[in-house]
Amino acid sequence: MAIDRKRIIDSLSKVTVAGDENGLIPVFGVLVNQLPADFWNGFAQRLTHLVEPDMLEAAEVLLVNAAHECGYHTGYGIITSEEWKSVVEPMIEKVPEDVLHGAVAVLAAWGWANAEIAELVPGQRMVVRAYDYYEADPAVYGRASRPQAYMLRGVCAAFMDLAYGGPYDSTGSKGLRTFTCVQTKGIECGDPYGEFVVTPA
Amino acid sequence: MKPIEFERAFDPRRCRHMLEGRVSVLHCHHYSTLYTQLADDCSLLDARGLLARVAADTFFAVLADIQRKNDLRTAAERIAAAEQYYGWAGLGRLKVIAAGPDAGEAVLERSHIDEGWVRKWGPRERPVNFITQGFLAAVFAAAFDGRPGQYAVRELESIVSGRERSRFQIARQ
Repeated sequence: MAIDRKRIIDSLSKVTVAGDENGLIPVFGVLVNQLPADFWNGFAQRLTHLVEPDMLEAAEVLLVNAAHECGYHTGYGIITSEEWKSVVEPMIEKVPEDVLHGAVAVLAAWGWANAEIAELVPGQRMVVRAYDYYEADPAVYGRASRPQAYMLRGVCAAFMDLAYGGPYDSTGSKGLRTFTCVQTKGIECGDPYGEFVVTPA
Repeated sequence: MKPIEFERAFDPRRCRHMLEGRVSVLHCHHYSTLYTQLADDCSLLDARGLLARVAADTFFAVLADIQRKNDLRTAAERIAAAEQYYGWAGLGRLKVIAAGPDAGEAVLERSHIDEGWVRKWGPRERPVNFITQGFLAAVFAAAFDGRPGQYAVRELESIVSGRERSRFQIARQ
């Protein structure tokens, strides 16, 4: 594998964005915002702790789904961007596996998670380990009884959709949700890292 | 007022972006509008109100820090800083057109949430910008040394419904 994770993070973490004269950030084919992690965590945490226990899983599915769609569309925007072409594309030898390793490095550069692929069986299974991620931050004391990294679950599944789910479909009706992700470990649960296992849906 | 230079930093060890000293992340309109849709559709609790309250709490803390750091003392300076932050964060072009400790009005000329919603699903009749409702509660609380929970915000017209601008009314409860 020719992907130089450190170089990707060094280069792409320096790409900064800010609202234009309209207060909008149109990049990677989407409108982007840069908000405090507390906002996203706050809504997910309060929602999952306010719903009745029998509705918790349904709420979690919706939170994961938001990230799944975001990861699919923004992920495609990233891997077709000029920044990707100049920094990551020259390192790619094997498609789509190197693209996946590069995309997970971009995940780190964007501040979503200090993560890497621990295992990859092409088209079948991907295991991502995240050693630091903002969704673990709400557990400032003790251990959560269940994993809470809904965003990372969705994004990991989306990256496998992009790699093995067929051509990108901007409507999301074909290539999206061909994979699903389960979080098997979480820093928020007291584990040393978060672990995300992606398999065909 | 001179525009504020918002601070950025990247922690390469943890892979965290810090904006104005807070961990911050980039997300796209798919994510923000799906969170909004989740809040709008949720029949389990008042999730629209919840999303607005989380926004109010989060942005109140951000704006209070900006005010302290830049020694912003007047309501005009504080409101200008909040409008600038809103645009810098990519949420749109927000103008508070009248403000006092008890009530006020604001318009949104461009909107990440409304325009993102229209791009994703098309227009609709009812407002969707619960995040900006919360942001405005935070703006008024920070500008007039109150608490975000003291302010009720109503969206009277919306870009998502085809209007040129969204219009908000803010009142102390």
